[in-house]
Amino acid sequence: MSSSAVCRYEQTDAGSRLRLSGVWRLSTLAELHDSLLGCLPQSGIGAPVVVDGSALEEIDTSGALALWQRLESAGAEPNEVELAGFGDAQRATLDLVRARLDEVIGSRAVGRLALDAPAVDPLRMVGEGAVSLWRLVVGNVEWLGRVVTALAQTVLLPQRLRPRELFAQLSQVCVAAIPVVALVSFLIGLVVAYLLGLQATQYGANIFVVDGVALGLAREFSPLIVAVILAGRSGSAFAAQLGTMNITEEIDAIRTLGLSVEQVLVVPRVLALVVAMPLLVFVGDVVGLLGAMTIADHMLDIGPGQFLERLRYALAPRHLVIGLVKAPVFAFAIALIGCRMGMTVSRDARSIGRNTTSTVVQAIVLVIVLDALFAVLLQALGL
Amino acid sequence: MSGPAFRDAASSDEPVVAIDSLHTRFGAQVVHEGLDLRVRRGELVALVGGSGSGKSVLLREIIGLHRPSEGRVRLLGTDVWSAPQDELEAARRRIGVLFQDGALFSSLDVAGNVATPMREYGRIPQPMIGPLVRLRISMAGLPPEAATKMPAELSGGMRKRAGIARALALEPEVLFLDEPTSGLDPVTARELDALLASLNRDLGITIVLVTHDIDTILTITQRMIVLRDGRIAADGAPAELARSDDEWIRGWFDGRRMAPPLPRSASDGA
Repeated sequence: MSSSAVCRYEQTDAGSRLRLSGVWRLSTLAELHDSLLGCLPQSGIGAPVVVDGSALEEIDTSGALALWQRLESAGAEPNEVELAGFGDAQRATLDLVRARLDEVIGSRAVGRLALDAPAVDPLRMVGEGAVSLWRLVVGNVEWLGRVVTALAQTVLLPQRLRPRELFAQLSQVCVAAIPVVALVSFLIGLVVAYLLGLQATQYGANIFVVDGVALGLAREFSPLIVAVILAGRSGSAFAAQLGTMNITEEIDAIRTLGLSVEQVLVVPRVLALVVAMPLLVFVGDVVGLLGAMTIADHMLDIGPGQFLERLRYALAPRHLVIGLVKAPVFAFAIALIGCRMGMTVSRDARSIGRNTTSTVVQAIVLVIVLDALFAVLLQALGL
Repeated sequence: MSGPAFRDAASSDEPVVAIDSLHTRFGAQVVHEGLDLRVRRGELVALVGGSGSGKSVLLREIIGLHRPSEGRVRLLGTDVWSAPQDELEAARRRIGVLFQDGALFSSLDVAGNVATPMREYGRIPQPMIGPLVRLRISMAGLPPEAATKMPAELSGGMRKRAGIARALALEPEVLFLDEPTSGLDPVTARELDALLASLNRDLGITIVLVTHDIDTILTITQRMIVLRDGRIAADGAPAELARSDDEWIRGWFDGRRMAPPLPRSASDGA
């Protein structure tokens, strides 16, 4: 079966004649391309041009395009080319493509197709990055204002609060998060105690492991770990929930019912997270110490009784309180960003994924920045 | 081998779509109950039926996206649900699908969307891809400027056209369309009908579409398949079905208040 695409070209005094044979289809396009390149002259094809299709088996629009493109580059005017010996369907295909040549390869083929990777311009990237970062910060500050206003309204008019939504969110962000917070805190407590213990045993200072772990967990580790978990678990969920509602026009529906979106959707989420996080940090403190206690018993010969005894001296209540005070601030930041990213989802499907990812990144960065500010502040206050 | 030789030898008489005693159940809900269907090469067929009659599910079963509970589905001679993966993929390269909202890749512009299947196909010389992309865009009735637009910037009608351009990328033998005219204004919808009719007529592409649009059915389809209660309730030319004894089927046509005169009386014509 001859399935290869072939063309033969002859030039006479009366003009040029191109005989096509074989199958001119998408699947044979590569050989077609080469065969056409070889058989026609590079330019100056003699008019009038006749294309003879009497030996042609099949042609589709891709084959037709290859033919016209090559004829044109050889200097023929497609509209003056005469078609001879083609079947009706073949002629229709050729004419369909010929009628569109202007838009395909001619003067109306406008716009550069970005089919190949676009050129990377570092300067442009830096500029765009800076502008979008600036817009992000401004947008977040603006959003902070709106949320604080909505919260103030809730304080002044408590009947505006939606208790149902609040409690639904609380169960989501608090109760459901306890297992993962407990697991991670336990392991962190265990690991920190182990690493401290390795050093401390060398100096026979085993008992000070309790001091180190307790201070570290209560002031830093527990709030940070819980913040990271909540950013990944609840912040992203807020962005995805509100983003989906945005795309399905639910948020528009809420607005047209005369309700405030901030009151209905944002305030309950923010409050829920602000209430939940100190509780979770406390869980983290307790379970983390349990983890430390476990390893202390096995590795450092500090029994649970001794551990708790030491804890009473080592862990002043203010350390615990500092950790618990940080928690709602971190929570507010996470909820704020999660909700804003959800509200700014645009109408295309990529947007939800992008904003959800951005929520987690922004929230974690912001939490760490806030934590650094806390460190400086507490240092200045002598706490 | 999925080359042209295979296609020429196997094709002409074999039905494009062949469905035998198809059953589909979702839990206790029965959608298809022993459905048989043949679509022949070159036809322009509309699948119609009430909401929930399983038209779209049927389409998804034909193109291998939803596994039927029982029965056999053959697409271009390939048994969709028992053929090896590469055979199914070869069959899929010979079809084009337009999903309801176009299902364009939102991270790529229109040209990128159309070029995707061409690049994956791997047998197209690089310098041909650009012109071929523009040809598909033009064949789908989009202006040349649309090539560089992102899907989010397109109107509903343009989105569907871009979806058709992508579906046409690899010279499909069959085109499956899910509600091609839904959500479009009547002018755009009729333009789209004309486009489909010309693809069917000029390029010989077999077209199977799921639709609610009685205008599409009346103006371009040669065959209308009505799904009801899990079976094919009627199958024939729209003009014939308009004279059906079944009141429910006639309702599809009578529902039109401002209908152009239908060739509905048997006596004056034939």
